[in-house]
Amino acid sequence: MLGDLGTASLAAGLLCATLTALLWLRVALFAAPARPARLATAATLGAAAAACALLEAALLGHDFGVTFVAENGGRHVPVYYTVTSLWAALDGSLLLWLLVLAGYAALLARRRRYPARLHAYAMAVVSTLTVFFFALSAFAANPFRPVSPVPADGPGPNPLLQQHPAMGLHPPLLYAGYLGLAVPFAFALAAPLAGPQGRDWLRAARPWALAAWAALTAGIGLGAWWSYAVLGWGGYWAWDPVENASLLPWLTATAFLHTATRRGTGRAGWNLVLACASFVLVLFGTFLTRSGAVSSVHAFTDSPLGPMLLGFVLLAVVAATLLAGRRVPEPPRRAGPAADPGRGAPALSRGTAVLVNGVLLVTIAAVVLIGTVFPLLSGPLGGVRASVGPPYYERTAVPLAVAVLLVMGTLPAVTARAGGLRRLAVPGGVALTTVAAVGLLSRPGAAALTAFGAAAFVLTGVAAELAERLRRDRGTAATGHRRRSPGRFAGLVAHAGIAVVAVGVAGSAAYGRDAERVVRTGETLRVPGASARLVGVDRSADAGTMTVRARLRLTGAGGERTVAPALRYHPGRDATVTVPAIRTGPLRDTYVTLLAVAPDGGSATVRLAVNPLVGLLWAGGALTAAGGLVAAVGVTRPRRRPAAPATSEPVAAETRSEPGPAETRSEPGPAGTRSEPVAGAAG
Amino acid sequence: MRWRRALGALVAAALLAAAGAGLARSAGGADGQDPVRAVAAGLRCPACEGESVADSRSPIAAAMRQAVADQVAQGRDAEEIRRWFVERYGREVLADAPGPAGPLLWAVPALALLGAGYAALRTLRPRAASAAPVPRREQPAGDGRPAADGTTPTGRGTRRAWQACSVGVVALVASVAVAAGRLDRPGARPEPADPVTVAVGLARDLEEQQRYDAAARMYEEALRDRPDDAIRLRLAFALLRAGDSAGAEESARAVLARAPDSPDGLLVLGLAQRDRRSPEAAATLRRFLALAPQHPAAAEIRRLVAAAG
Repeated sequence: MLGDLGTASLAAGLLCATLTALLWLRVALFAAPARPARLATAATLGAAAAACALLEAALLGHDFGVTFVAENGGRHVPVYYTVTSLWAALDGSLLLWLLVLAGYAALLARRRRYPARLHAYAMAVVSTLTVFFFALSAFAANPFRPVSPVPADGPGPNPLLQQHPAMGLHPPLLYAGYLGLAVPFAFALAAPLAGPQGRDWLRAARPWALAAWAALTAGIGLGAWWSYAVLGWGGYWAWDPVENASLLPWLTATAFLHTATRRGTGRAGWNLVLACASFVLVLFGTFLTRSGAVSSVHAFTDSPLGPMLLGFVLLAVVAATLLAGRRVPEPPRRAGPAADPGRGAPALSRGTAVLVNGVLLVTIAAVVLIGTVFPLLSGPLGGVRASVGPPYYERTAVPLAVAVLLVMGTLPAVTARAGGLRRLAVPGGVALTTVAAVGLLSRPGAAALTAFGAAAFVLTGVAAELAERLRRDRGTAATGHRRRSPGRFAGLVAHAGIAVVAVGVAGSAAYGRDAERVVRTGETLRVPGASARLVGVDRSADAGTMTVRARLRLTGAGGERTVAPALRYHPGRDATVTVPAIRTGPLRDTYVTLLAVAPDGGSATVRLAVNPLVGLLWAGGALTAAGGLVAAVGVTRPRRRPAAPATSEPVAAETRSEPGPAETRSEPGPAGTRSEPVAGAAG
Repeated sequence: MRWRRALGALVAAALLAAAGAGLARSAGGADGQDPVRAVAAGLRCPACEGESVADSRSPIAAAMRQAVADQVAQGRDAEEIRRWFVERYGREVLADAPGPAGPLLWAVPALALLGAGYAALRTLRPRAASAAPVPRREQPAGDGRPAADGTTPTGRGTRRAWQACSVGVVALVASVAVAAGRLDRPGARPEPADPVTVAVGLARDLEEQQRYDAAARMYEEALRDRPDDAIRLRLAFALLRAGDSAGAEESARAVLARAPDSPDGLLVLGLAQRDRRSPEAAATLRRFLALAPQHPAAAEIRRLVAAAG
């Protein structure tokens, strides 16, 4: 019953989506009224929501006659993880994907302040994407297919996906990030088609890109935390294909955000390519991870969708190439300090800095891309299917990321009106002092040491810039200068977040210590800064799982306490999951993993690790995402209440004839990629 | 003012020198680097999806880490250990075995750097504002050229674009529908290195080091992937040597149930029964001698049987 309704909702969605695409096309080509197209867009969203709701109902009602429930549901699964198991496997996660995509389409359809033709063409592109994914879901990955005979119970979702509450947040956030990038992509394709109306596509696309970027940042950060807390080896980033697939669009989107300002005159082609590349990389990542083309610890699914996804990626590339080949009309050049019609940007300017970082970010993306697809190439080219491991990324991406940090640190110099280089004296001095002090007091390795110095450079520069801007505000408050958007400090916050992440990455890699061996009851395992004595081993069984716990007396910086890392066996899936015990401290975590237990329970294989500074990773990730979010809000919402009595002008980017600092300076920072070896020392 | 500048230069020079010293100290590698981890990070875990031996939680990876640790303790260096693994399990065991496609790993990023750098340079150089549009052989769909006043003429070109686009959208749906019917779920891909082979190899190493408990666990791991009687017999031997005669007897009986005349099965069963003081031991061992008089263990067993009288 639910299954039939679900299949019907997918069919209805496919029809609505096709209709939507055609209606928006009519609006674009014939200037037809947009109302029917808007209604069709809303109907498509309704169909996607209905499909999701029906599958949730089937999961919660344990309707094992539905394929997806029979494969991923289970009576023993807690309610929360039953709800989240909608996106625990491909067919269901495609429904969430559709819901998010249709949601973006409906949001974009409602906005009326874009140029009409640009808007209609962009909507036609987004609707075409929706058509494709609805077709995929309805024909190739229908989760509602009936099962016969109906099983009495199911195995539950993949055990790794019912371990951590982040399961409810991480995938939806990532999808919000991935699909949010579809909107800038749609505007980039629409711009050459819309003629003179396409001039201002960057202004239309940027808020969407910012929001998507913030969601993607939060999603990646949350995913790192999740893998740290669940996978049991204390790492947060393994250069795994699925992780890389999320990093690729993040890198290009970061570059796009920095160059996609009105000051980016003369960069139309560059911005167009970056906007297209970001979403094409999203599609490509989907292909890589959903087709089983590369093996990954995260690939929770093998599906026949590979060829179709690859075909669609190629279609997107062809469309983008054909359209980018047409000249994009550019907004007229403004006379200004950075865009002088007679000259290019001066060597030391914001424009140059973001371009240099854009080039570096694109290069990092190329490194990650070739490293990820290498297994696919090495087979045909030389027999052995080889993959590249973290050492390759450490040699390539890490130095590039440090270079990105250093260019980020020039922010105070390039935003200054005059005497730019002099403003780098203090940050430079602090950076050198940091390198000297840390390098003489400990030996973290060259890569980590450079990262510390670069992070100090960025953080000091951000602090100096913040002080400078506040001082300038006080000076201009009286004159009512327009300088008070909420997104004003967002870029600085995001930059600081990236630098903090860099410190966490370098510190945890350089100073982490671990030991792993078999300990008998009563024996002690020691690493510098912590020790664990095995007290005993318990076994227990509950609904659907069997658990072995090792009780250990942990002695460390925070006194003594008992921890109980466990191994949890899920017979339904014949899989064992490690449940590490993590003691979080202000400066370091103590991380205990149980690897194996002797049959007689007299000894256990235990890994004890001390991970310093990992807290900075989560804090920095949160800061970066918050900066992106504030910037997105800052450029989309006109301010209602003037911050100072004298200023009453609205500052939303779209309502200004000229970009103010909110648009040009409140940019999330370039990538300090989490690019150090995840566990294990750098260098 | 000159002394201030001199002082600034002096401070900068001192800082640079100190930072250089700090970096030089670190250039030799970080403190506390675990050599076992460093080698294990470069080995691919055969039983898992794209994880290195250092990061994987699977028993095979744990045994491989142990093998690395043993060799580090013997004083072998990283390169020797890697060679040892390659000799035994093939090049696929290395996480970084690029092979002939290796240059791509450097060429692609270098090209990206050059290409993006060139594109960035071009954006810095302002172009003439009135560059002619690039003529295209193939105009993309939706070529509704607006008139000068921004309205769209509904000319023949626009109609054709509309028709082409509608056909395109429908064709997209149709192609997915057709393709979906022809695609099967992919089968399991062959593993890069056969986990069973690796597990058995590791187990033999453990037996050589007389760590029979761990070896038995490794054989059990291999059996989970490939229920093969030869492996089951090795497991039975390992259990016997580890002192678990009940387990050994169980494994041997499982083999004998399928192959009643397996000499090795009878041998293990007999020895296990003998350990457990079972009266059937002598009969089982005599049957073994009758079946395999040339077996390497036969002489020893004859002695045992004769002693038991």
